[in-house]
Amino acid sequence: MAVRSCRLFSWIGGCLTKRDLICGKTVNINRGPCWFFVRSVKSSTWWDEHLSEENSQFLRRLIPEEYNALANSKLCPLKDEPWPQQPWVEGSLRVGLIAVKLGMMPVWTKSGERHVVSLLQVEDCHVIKYIPKEEYDGKSAALFVGGKVSSPFSRSESLLQMYRDAGVPPKQKLSTFKVSDNAILKPGTPLYAAHFRPGQYVDVTAKTIGKGFQGVMKRWGFKGQPASHGQTKTHRRPGASGPGGKPARVWPGKKMPGQMGNIYRTSFGLKVWRINTKHNIIYVNGSVPGHRNCLLKVRDTNLPTRMEHNKNPPFPTFFADGEEQLPEDLYDEEMFQFSEPSIVYS
Amino acid sequence: MAACKSVSKMNSTIRCLNGCCKCVVAAPSHPRFFQVALSRCVSTDGGNGDPPKFQPPPKPVMIDKSKTEASHRRFLSPEFIPPRQRTNPFKFAIERKDMIQRRKIIDIPEFYVGSVLAVVMADVYASGKSNRFVGICTQRSGKGLGATFVLRNIIDGQGVEICYDLYSPRIQQIEVLKFEKRLDDNLMYLRDALPEYSTFDFDMKAMPPPLPGAEVPINQQKVKMKPRPWSKRWERSRFNIKGIPFELYFTEEELTHAKKWDTPWVEYDMLKEYDTSNVEKHIWTEVQRELSK
Repeated sequence: MAVRSCRLFSWIGGCLTKRDLICGKTVNINRGPCWFFVRSVKSSTWWDEHLSEENSQFLRRLIPEEYNALANSKLCPLKDEPWPQQPWVEGSLRVGLIAVKLGMMPVWTKSGERHVVSLLQVEDCHVIKYIPKEEYDGKSAALFVGGKVSSPFSRSESLLQMYRDAGVPPKQKLSTFKVSDNAILKPGTPLYAAHFRPGQYVDVTAKTIGKGFQGVMKRWGFKGQPASHGQTKTHRRPGASGPGGKPARVWPGKKMPGQMGNIYRTSFGLKVWRINTKHNIIYVNGSVPGHRNCLLKVRDTNLPTRMEHNKNPPFPTFFADGEEQLPEDLYDEEMFQFSEPSIVYS
Repeated sequence: MAACKSVSKMNSTIRCLNGCCKCVVAAPSHPRFFQVALSRCVSTDGGNGDPPKFQPPPKPVMIDKSKTEASHRRFLSPEFIPPRQRTNPFKFAIERKDMIQRRKIIDIPEFYVGSVLAVVMADVYASGKSNRFVGICTQRSGKGLGATFVLRNIIDGQGVEICYDLYSPRIQQIEVLKFEKRLDDNLMYLRDALPEYSTFDFDMKAMPPPLPGAEVPINQQKVKMKPRPWSKRWERSRFNIKGIPFELYFTEEELTHAKKWDTPWVEYDMLKEYDTSNVEKHIWTEVQRELSK
């Protein structure tokens, strides 16, 4: 029934002319039948189009419960052995994490200086797929890592298949980490905040807060023009756009109004002050791109002057079911812990 | 809306009951005229022929008779109450743990804007490595661990305001010398007041500590100001200052001119309403429980 009605629409679409159809853009009159306006059942459908109301409500309730149960059952007897772990070597790259930005907080050092930290929570971070060196780019292997759990609805089948192979519920953010061969992890390995240790440095990448289409004063910090003294309709405009007769054109990359924000940016060399192993929270120095509750990609820093602080990390990652029992809070040596008495200078 | 409700007879004079308009109209026997005269009687003009002023309806005051005044006053420091934001409440819970840990080490007493405090802070450059400052608390701002308070005093003729972090580890002792509240939440106008209102002796003796359930004493003092111009136009309603006797410094005209900046609709703005009573209760019980551990 639906197929027949769709075929009817495609026939009608072929017969209609530009005048009869309402289209937003100008359409070439000599174009063929307008079948692309019509959706056929075989091309796309949403997940609960053919489900009854009851069934879709049931699925909406059931799936998050199942995923929570999956996430909470960390020790599964049916799991296979993890891949062999190799010791850390200078120059090896290890995997990173995906975290959620919670907010910001002040932190004090033992000498009384005040710094600000961003709280990043690692929620349900798993390794999804391993891509060997030859398939990725010929130089280094890659690991796909997924962040927060999200719904399996409205996703492509190939993506869902990848999550099924890893034995992990679908994630909201999937990112790639270039990894050296001695740091590869088995797909399905959970990653925790204790992967990073206080005192090391990280780089955080995220999409900045989107500000939309912005003018040149906000986007590039131009000074604009005076508010009064005869300015005719010119207060926030860019002014001149280049030298003059010699290039007689505008240089490519000229700063002009346009989309501001909502692009990926990285903050480099951020010190980790504290790790909460119970709730998986990383306290990272300074500010981090993105709004609150956004997903970030956290990895060991690339800066050459800070890499010496990243020696001997938990390699290839921190395993929660291993022998190491960490205390609930790990602090950097310089950080003031609130359980200590007030600072007294001597 | 007060309307002429009582009418003795159709044919007699119609008189307003509320007394604000003095229309006394002799009504003829036509029923239509009766209605029209009624609507006219409703106008609340002052009798000058000015356009009628809008008198907003009084906001209903809910009096909860179930709670008695004698019940224990429960004080929750304002920095515990989370702001109305899109932050995950879990983040506030994590911050509260740190705040409670700090409060176990050092006693941060209950105080309000208008109380006189003495703060001893560790200072590298001071002799004895710590300095003590006494002053009146003019503002309390910030939420969570970044909460601050500003102490003001006048030392050797120079006004000094110091902003302290409540949870800074450098603070060694906070002592309340005078426990009271003022008529306002923000005493920034003391900068334009006469110096005697901001001077407090460093060797001031501490008042006896308040009883746990007692009401906070409110100091009804009205402060005398230096001659105008002031640093801010304190007479305007956005500051909502009750502690300055404006009649001594402004004429009637100037006060009505200041009323131009009134924003009476803000009181009724439902989007700005933030009822913190439930949140406060939960946080208060949580804080008491953790502090007693």
